[in-house]
Amino acid sequence: MLNAKIPAGPLETKWSKYKSTVKLVNPANKRKLEVIVIGTGLAGASAAASLAELGYKVKAFCFQDSPRRAHSIAAQGGINAAKNYQNDGDSVFRLFYDTVKGGDYRSREGNVYRLAEVSASIIDQCVAQGVPFAREYGGLLSNRSFGGTQVQRTFYAAGQTGQQLLLGAYSALQRQVALGNVKMYNRHEMLDIVTVDGKARGIIARDLVSGKLERHFGHAVLLCSGGYGNVFFLSTNAMGSNVTAAWKAHKRGAYFGNPCFTQIHPTCIPVSGDHQSKLTLMSESLRNDGRIWVPKKKDDNRKATDIPEEERDYYLERRYPAFGNLVPRDVASRAAKERCDEGYGVGASKMAVYLDFAEAILRYGKIEAGKKGDDNAGKEEIIKLGKSVVAEKYGNLFDMYAKITGENPYETPMRIYPAVHYTMGGLWVDYELMTTVPGLYALGEANFSDHGANRLGASALMQGLADGYFVIPYTIGNYLADELQTKPIPLDHPAFVETEKAVQDQLDKLMSIKGQHSVDHFHKALGKIMWDKCGMARNEKGLTEAIGEIQALRAEFWQNVRIPGSQHEFNPELEKAGRVADFLELGELMCKDALQRKESCGGHFREESQTEEGEAKRNDDNFSFVAAWEYKGPGSSELHKEALTFDIVHPTQRSYK
Amino acid sequence: MKWSQFFNTSIGKKLLVGATGFFLCAFVIVHLAGNISLLKDDGGEAFNTYAAFMGHNGFIQFLAWGLKVIILLHAIIAIVLTVQNQRARPVKYAVKPGNKTSSWYSRQMAVMGSILFIFLVIHLSQFWWAMHYGDIGTVSYGAVTEVGNLYEVVYAGFAQLWIVVLYVLGMIALSFHLIHGFKSACQTFGLNHKKYNGILNFIGIYLFGILIPVGFAVIPVVIYLKQI
Amino acid sequence: MKLTLKVWRQQNSQEKGRFETYQVSDVSKDMSFLEVFDVLNERLINEGKDPIAFDHDCREGICGMCSMYINGRAHGPWDETTTCQLHMRAYNDGDTIVVEPWRAAAFPVIKDLTVDRTAFDRIIQAGGYISVNTGNAVDANAIPIDKHDADAAFAAAACIGCGACVAACKNSSAMLFTSAKVSQLALLPQGHPERKQRALNMVAQMDKEGFGSCTNTGACEAECPKGISLTNIARLNREVLVAGLSSE
Repeated sequence: MLNAKIPAGPLETKWSKYKSTVKLVNPANKRKLEVIVIGTGLAGASAAASLAELGYKVKAFCFQDSPRRAHSIAAQGGINAAKNYQNDGDSVFRLFYDTVKGGDYRSREGNVYRLAEVSASIIDQCVAQGVPFAREYGGLLSNRSFGGTQVQRTFYAAGQTGQQLLLGAYSALQRQVALGNVKMYNRHEMLDIVTVDGKARGIIARDLVSGKLERHFGHAVLLCSGGYGNVFFLSTNAMGSNVTAAWKAHKRGAYFGNPCFTQIHPTCIPVSGDHQSKLTLMSESLRNDGRIWVPKKKDDNRKATDIPEEERDYYLERRYPAFGNLVPRDVASRAAKERCDEGYGVGASKMAVYLDFAEAILRYGKIEAGKKGDDNAGKEEIIKLGKSVVAEKYGNLFDMYAKITGENPYETPMRIYPAVHYTMGGLWVDYELMTTVPGLYALGEANFSDHGANRLGASALMQGLADGYFVIPYTIGNYLADELQTKPIPLDHPAFVETEKAVQDQLDKLMSIKGQHSVDHFHKALGKIMWDKCGMARNEKGLTEAIGEIQALRAEFWQNVRIPGSQHEFNPELEKAGRVADFLELGELMCKDALQRKESCGGHFREESQTEEGEAKRNDDNFSFVAAWEYKGPGSSELHKEALTFDIVHPTQRSYK
Repeated sequence: MKWSQFFNTSIGKKLLVGATGFFLCAFVIVHLAGNISLLKDDGGEAFNTYAAFMGHNGFIQFLAWGLKVIILLHAIIAIVLTVQNQRARPVKYAVKPGNKTSSWYSRQMAVMGSILFIFLVIHLSQFWWAMHYGDIGTVSYGAVTEVGNLYEVVYAGFAQLWIVVLYVLGMIALSFHLIHGFKSACQTFGLNHKKYNGILNFIGIYLFGILIPVGFAVIPVVIYLKQI
Repeated sequence: MKLTLKVWRQQNSQEKGRFETYQVSDVSKDMSFLEVFDVLNERLINEGKDPIAFDHDCREGICGMCSMYINGRAHGPWDETTTCQLHMRAYNDGDTIVVEPWRAAAFPVIKDLTVDRTAFDRIIQAGGYISVNTGNAVDANAIPIDKHDADAAFAAAACIGCGACVAACKNSSAMLFTSAKVSQLALLPQGHPERKQRALNMVAQMDKEGFGSCTNTGACEAECPKGISLTNIARLNREVLVAGLSSE
């Protein structure tokens, strides 16, 4: 049985008690301890900077040209924190409660409570670093409500919160680089973990410019390498986002937790053709004012503005009168898919629904006219005023939409469709964020820990920074305190030699195939299987088929992929090939995990497990556990279960009717 | 940071170019104010008296030599910066943006500056050298006796069409150099503020870009026309 | 539509580069500029040729990695748009498009259209931060900040570090990039204790990297995909002037 090492005692005191009893490393000894950090997003940059500040010797790696490029930068909406600055009844407990409930009761109470507890310190830290959060005229911080919560606890910096938080962490990291406490490796990709006597002791990395393999020793290794949404080929992730670091760790003994828990975001710009390379998110905040609808008639090819009000089906408002357009992400996504599958979709592909601001424009316009005392304003004047209000609130999103689609969303409704956005699953970690490999940690989206089966809006930034700034600096000491006697392992140690050889063999193999199809060809094929059969709705038949199809595709990949150039140069195709090879293995595990979880919860919807009205139905008796998969050789995995107990929050069926 | 270090940074050098530029802006105003008397129909009394005063007042002489140092400093630092700027892009673009992203004259400060420098050499050798070391006639006006008749030299010079053309071209270069130069110097000194940009732009364009160069150019043209 | 692409090809930083011409057909107006390169690369791979290396990652205009100099314009013809957000609606059938890498001594070419921008990281390392260790912070609302200053700091902080300012500047100057960070931190009270050293050190590093100096042509502002304003350069100049005159 897996031991998550949750400290004993009441929920409220677990973390403070842990902190005051955890082992410490004295400053002189910290200088002798080396820590490797993979990835420089919110979790990685904040961890690398904080550990370096404490005195550890840190090496940080990123595959991009600069640590500032990590995909945390693209987060738009905001970051939650239980500050209760708005005096609207927020508290650590309420944030904890909302997160556990939002995760559909598949996360750990202990972890989530700690997350809520440290959330307030994150905001303090970021403001001190110079993160320019939005402010009110009085000079104090502004908040908004996000993702349907009943309190205003989201801090934001226009639609670029992730960027500002990441640049704050990046600055802190660069400061430590300047001080010589962090050695930064840009354009380097970790390709394997080196273990000695069962403990993580280093990595093999490839210098992406020269193509050379490098060995790096560390007393501990932190994986902060993000999520694996790109297994679907099309997602809101960056082109380079990948699972390789986590997957290699998995193959070296780290269990993979809840791989099938994927978040599909309801408001993305739909696919426009076969050339599509990625999908772009339109912030969730748009649902505060936009109304979602499809025509009542199937295959209605009229222009949206030509379809009269009575022939429109505002299906979210119809199905969920209490929450309407503000239902959680998973519910909104499935409802859109249902309408499109039934033939009511819009646009050229028929795989889109409308997000309409016409009513919001009128509503705001009337308020503006009222403010001016102009109660007899004509419709045109009202629309003009309303548009300017909408532009002020969402202007940058509307501009982005117009650039991508060539349509003017002020005049005609936006077309949106759900897209893969975030992966709740990830490497299984205990309370200390350590994986099942001693000395190997996973932080941020790379771990599975805090969001259960569904992540709430504005919580990803919170978790990444909580892990990096305020959790790992404490928990890593508990491990490293016992490692003081471990001298740096020489790089010619057999473990380094053998691991490097395994990496070299894989590179040689990939280069030697010289087959018929590009890497993208296989990636797109994998994405289609995953989206069709392990996407928004899953069933036993589809998942079983998918497993077979992925196995076949993987076999073909290893016989027929074509990689140009050589491995001893800058070769982006070779980088992609390695990543897709890992996705081809992960995809199968995701399907297996989805197959074993015969319930619907959060982002995971099993068609066999739904209510009569088509809503998701959880099965707490049989599935109240974390599925942690152990790698047992190619295509073979063993399931371990970590039972979830709920002492404080009692699971109920979510209802938004 | 030591002075030497500070003025060796790119911004330090630019501040020197800007500061000398501001001084030269002030100089052209004074210079024009004095030269306008050339157009007075008094047989050169006002101008020659003014020229004599300028040529013999110790303080003015100090400033005049300082002016030459400042012109050289302005030019030399600008040349150093230009060379550094050239080195910052060893491989040039095949396609250039033209005037889509910046005005042509803002990119041609070195060219305009070089034209002005050549103009200055000619201008100084023609009048300043003649006044101080040349053999020019003298003239007396009442209390003011035996002053050099620079007025005559100027009129003789501007009787030649090619010199008039040269001066007009020099003033066109001055105009474009100052339109960008004044505003650029303001920016280098950090003078960029919504409330004051309007007046700074006005001064840059209308005073330094139009009034001063046109004022200077009018003198040779009128003198030429008067003599044909 | 059919397009002619003339693309800079360069094997690595040592070798000389040259332009190669490619014809691409079936370009849809809905494609992004980078998707045309995806399609072209797919074809080159199938023909057994070396695909074109170019930097890109988020493809939603925020990571700052994409960096193409298109027909004489950094990030192409649309204002306030990164290369990845440029869509083919900007072009017509039969157009010829010349694509070059960012060109600057401080940004050496790695391969084809990919350049090395670590000089920007080193400028930030010279002082683009507030020295506050994790855990030292006071309550976030302890220091009220004038909303206008906070907004101006945000506008400066929106810089994505793509290097278009350097690419667009005739002098390859990094003043807009450097000034954006100096401005952000100078506008916030948290940044004040270090402001003098920050401005001087970051400018010294900028010079050391081999960027040119600013001649205030304004091309950087015109080409910046995030609309970073020249007022930031003025503020940097003020910061440096005051620091240079007063620091020992």
